[in-house]
Amino acid sequence: MIGVKARNRISTFFKYFVLIVVGFIMVYPLLWMVSATFKSNNEIFSGIGLIPQNPTLDGYRNAMNDYGGDINLLRSMLNTYSYVIPKVIFTILSSAITAYGFGRFDFKGKRILFAVMLSTLFLPQVVLNVPQYLLYNTFGWVDSPWYLALIIPTLFAVDTYFVFMLVQFMRGIPKELDEAAQIDGCNTFQTLVKVIAPMLKPALVSCALFQFMWSSNDFMGPLLYVNTPAKYPAAIFVKLSMDADNGFAWNRVLAISLISIIPSLIVFFAAQNQFIEGISAGSVKG
Amino acid sequence: MKKFLALALSVCLTAAVVIGCGSTPAPAPSQAASAASTPAAASAAGLQPADGPVELSLSWWGGDARHEATQKAVDAFTTKYPNITVKTNYGAWTGWEDTMSTALYAGTAQDVDQVNWNWIFNYDNDGKTFVDLNTLSDYIDLTQFNEAALAQCTVNGRLTAIPVAMTGRIFYWNQTTFDEAGIATPTTFDELLAAGETFKTKLGEEYYPLAMNQLDRMIFMVWALECEYGKDWVVDGKLNYSQAEIEDGLALISQLEEAHVIPTMEKVLGDGAESFDKNPKWMEGKYAGIFEWDSSATKMQAALNEGQEFVVGEFLTGFGDYKGGFTKVSLGFSIAESAEYPVESAMLINFLLNEEEGVKLMASERGIPLSKVALQICTDNDLLNPIVAEANGKVLAWCEYNLDPTFEDAKLKSTDGVYYDVMDGLSYGDYDLAEAASILIEGIEATLAAA
Repeated sequence: MIGVKARNRISTFFKYFVLIVVGFIMVYPLLWMVSATFKSNNEIFSGIGLIPQNPTLDGYRNAMNDYGGDINLLRSMLNTYSYVIPKVIFTILSSAITAYGFGRFDFKGKRILFAVMLSTLFLPQVVLNVPQYLLYNTFGWVDSPWYLALIIPTLFAVDTYFVFMLVQFMRGIPKELDEAAQIDGCNTFQTLVKVIAPMLKPALVSCALFQFMWSSNDFMGPLLYVNTPAKYPAAIFVKLSMDADNGFAWNRVLAISLISIIPSLIVFFAAQNQFIEGISAGSVKG
Repeated sequence: MKKFLALALSVCLTAAVVIGCGSTPAPAPSQAASAASTPAAASAAGLQPADGPVELSLSWWGGDARHEATQKAVDAFTTKYPNITVKTNYGAWTGWEDTMSTALYAGTAQDVDQVNWNWIFNYDNDGKTFVDLNTLSDYIDLTQFNEAALAQCTVNGRLTAIPVAMTGRIFYWNQTTFDEAGIATPTTFDELLAAGETFKTKLGEEYYPLAMNQLDRMIFMVWALECEYGKDWVVDGKLNYSQAEIEDGLALISQLEEAHVIPTMEKVLGDGAESFDKNPKWMEGKYAGIFEWDSSATKMQAALNEGQEFVVGEFLTGFGDYKGGFTKVSLGFSIAESAEYPVESAMLINFLLNEEEGVKLMASERGIPLSKVALQICTDNDLLNPIVAEANGKVLAWCEYNLDPTFEDAKLKSTDGVYYDVMDGLSYGDYDLAEAASILIEGIEATLAAA
């Protein structure tokens, strides 16, 4: 007979075993990417092993190429964050205000407006490219040194998904809190800032993180609206050396990618707890 | 108060929706056009270089070496003409066409643009996108380019791009594998068939003298048919080959598969590589031949494992009495209609393609130069990659036929296009020859009709 203790131990062992195996499979591509930065092209395409046979540092050495002084890796990363950070801040502000409007007030046409807003969620970006480009061009935002075409739209809560998410989350915040705040003398705006926003924090953190990741990875936006190599963000810099005709060194592209995702990874890990809480937000009505 | 706030919020939202989906009728790109028209009209009238400072812009796609060479050439240009400054914009091929097509449509493209050959057909339907370069022949020496190449860049009588280089498909062989098999690289159809058998018996089932994916097969078939029948693939917007003739060509592909000359599509797709330069079997020499663009030689050569020798083949004979195959303009330079200083733009193009200083710096970064003087300068100074130069020389000396602009239409050429469907279907046995031929004909005719 196996004792209860032993049985527990065996079951724990199997649980961990399965988790470790599956976890390893999930993280394998990332590990492979790290190891591939030390491999030559031929080795990259001929196997999926992790240990490079002829390790080379060329990838990292060449990652520092500066294109005649126009742009280098570090500068491209700074460029990225110089528009990603304002985008994140503006998105949170505008989305929270818009969600507040939809979540807490009744006004004429609310249902229709909400439906219209949601419908934009299903509009693919490709369809928008040309009309948006023409519009921004008449405003003089194309190739603006301040990335106006990328930043300004976020002031108007264009990311429907976030608005929707915040509205859902807000339903879980009891209206009594608003009323209590009003009795204590808050006006509508103060209610948002002092009562609703702190309660919304987990959801706001998820919005910020999503926007941060999406904007850092966005390729087509900067490619359309940034026409000066010195202003290129990392997403474009990574691809600069990818020559379709003559081939290129993959280890270098991977090395650049790896370096450029480090800040995103740090931000993600720092905000991990808040983030996970935020994703499940709105799923259970409190 | 509440109502007012709600109203304000809804206004804010409406603005968001409008900006988000751009549903307002987008204003025409009048600003850029009107800003450009005044000085352009003034200088275009007499077509004289402008006095005073001039700012040009130049765009291209490519890789590191091309970025670097072009930057140096542009620096040399601005040193030669101190009153001109050039703003450059460059990137990789991925997404570049989307960006450029949007910019061309909006009138914000750079003054001088590196263009893919099909752009001049796709984005200049109304003749308002690119400048007719014939009007600038005082500043670009057009006599350096052969007539046929210029004709390929002429749409409705307007020369809208200067061809930089011509490219065509040619055979490359892995000499090392052929040495192992104990035979010479093939020069005739019969030798190619025999090589299939030798590879199979001497080296093993895994070895093939030639490997072709779906698009390679299509181009190879057209090449072989042109060798046999001696006529262009498409003439005056009509497919020039009959059902029977195309069945003939498809039968040839099947014959090569059966004779163990080329691996079946099942095998090639089973290798799991996106293209042959990333396919371990090409790297190791198990696939010992490819039918590729001359300009791709360096990429394919670099992909081979160490110790393998890469050689340019001869065009195979024995397919017919003619010299089949087509050349196409691999890329060109155009001047956008929105350019403020067309004359200086033309001078920049001429500097890059025809003048010694520029040519030496650009060398073969955009392919083996088509310009006669540039080719001479590059050869004299030993600036060309010998393999690419050899391949390009053979292609230009052999190929006699023209490429139809719709041949590379996305509906045909893309991975879900007609060529892939037909070649996969034939190889997997889903279509018989007659079926495959009629699907191909139908697809091509539909594309031609839409053009």
